[in-house]
Amino acid sequence: MFFALIGILIGAIIGFLLPYTYNTAYSLYISVAILACLDSVFGGIRANLEGSFSTKIFVSGFFGNSILAAFLAYIGDILGVPLYYAAIFTFGSRLFDNFASIRRILLQKKKSV
Amino acid sequence: MKKTNPTIIIALFSIIIGIFIATQMKLNVDSYAPATLKSIQNMKDEINAINNEIVEMEMLVNQKEKELEVLENISLGNENIIDILEADLKINKTRAGRTRLEGPGIVITMYDNMDDEIVGMSIDDDIIHDIDILNILNDLKLAGAECISVNDQRVVSTSEIKCRGPVMGINDKVIGIPFIIKAIGDPKLLMASVNAPGTYGDALKNVYFIGFEPRIEDKIVIPAYIGDSGFDFAKPVGEED
Repeated sequence: MFFALIGILIGAIIGFLLPYTYNTAYSLYISVAILACLDSVFGGIRANLEGSFSTKIFVSGFFGNSILAAFLAYIGDILGVPLYYAAIFTFGSRLFDNFASIRRILLQKKKSV
Repeated sequence: MKKTNPTIIIALFSIIIGIFIATQMKLNVDSYAPATLKSIQNMKDEINAINNEIVEMEMLVNQKEKELEVLENISLGNENIIDILEADLKINKTRAGRTRLEGPGIVITMYDNMDDEIVGMSIDDDIIHDIDILNILNDLKLAGAECISVNDQRVVSTSEIKCRGPVMGINDKVIGIPFIIKAIGDPKLLMASVNAPGTYGDALKNVYFIGFEPRIEDKIVIPAYIGDSGFDFAKPVGEED
């Protein structure tokens, strides 16, 4: 849990220090992709705590979900339908599900200790 | 694949997310609301309106610059102020209807229904009234007539058109049939405004069988307004020129 937070912090510092930025037009796609990635990381943490972590599943989910989410947003833009809502709802609710599981596992661990 | 520590992998990918988040934050974009077609259209309309305003402003600037040029020429002595004032006077006289004007337009001849047969319930339906003339004049003005005369009486802003029994009063003069209305403007437009089906002129001609003969002419001369145009009660307000 905390190493993920630390990782995000380190990444943020690197991102702020790096001079690269992308076109503002892609901002929507990237933000949806970030949500998908966050969901994957939470899923990974949960799997790690449950002891069923698989690197392949994690990495494929991380990239696959983010690409699919960005692609949905892109298609939605072309069709004029905000399809990225689908990604936001799915990953958003899964994020909270994962977080709920992580909480329960951590609290039970604390109790048992 | 060898079993690597999941924590390290998760931390590594968290770093990737962090980089993305930081880049996103650097962009500093406003919150993304989905743009509906209507809002896009509204925005386009707004832009068009503003662009039109800019064009108008530029025209105004050009006009003022020209005026300034004239004034500068006067101050330099290149132009005589009397010439300019005389040109100004001419324009104002034309606007006030004090000059004879010539140009293309239409001439309408109107006279009462000459048939023995009576069309309507009363004899009033067979003769021309002041309201008929007024309606025709309104149609002509709407079609862009620049100057109008009725029986060689110039129609100006204070011209009355009033029934006086068997005759008609205009500019304090009495006129009788046939009424000859002359108007200078786009001949086709003027013709359409009184002759097209459904217009007042068309109804006069084809429903009431009143004599109504519009014709296009290339050269019409409209006389100047002769009469008093002084102001006894009205006074100008403000400093607009």
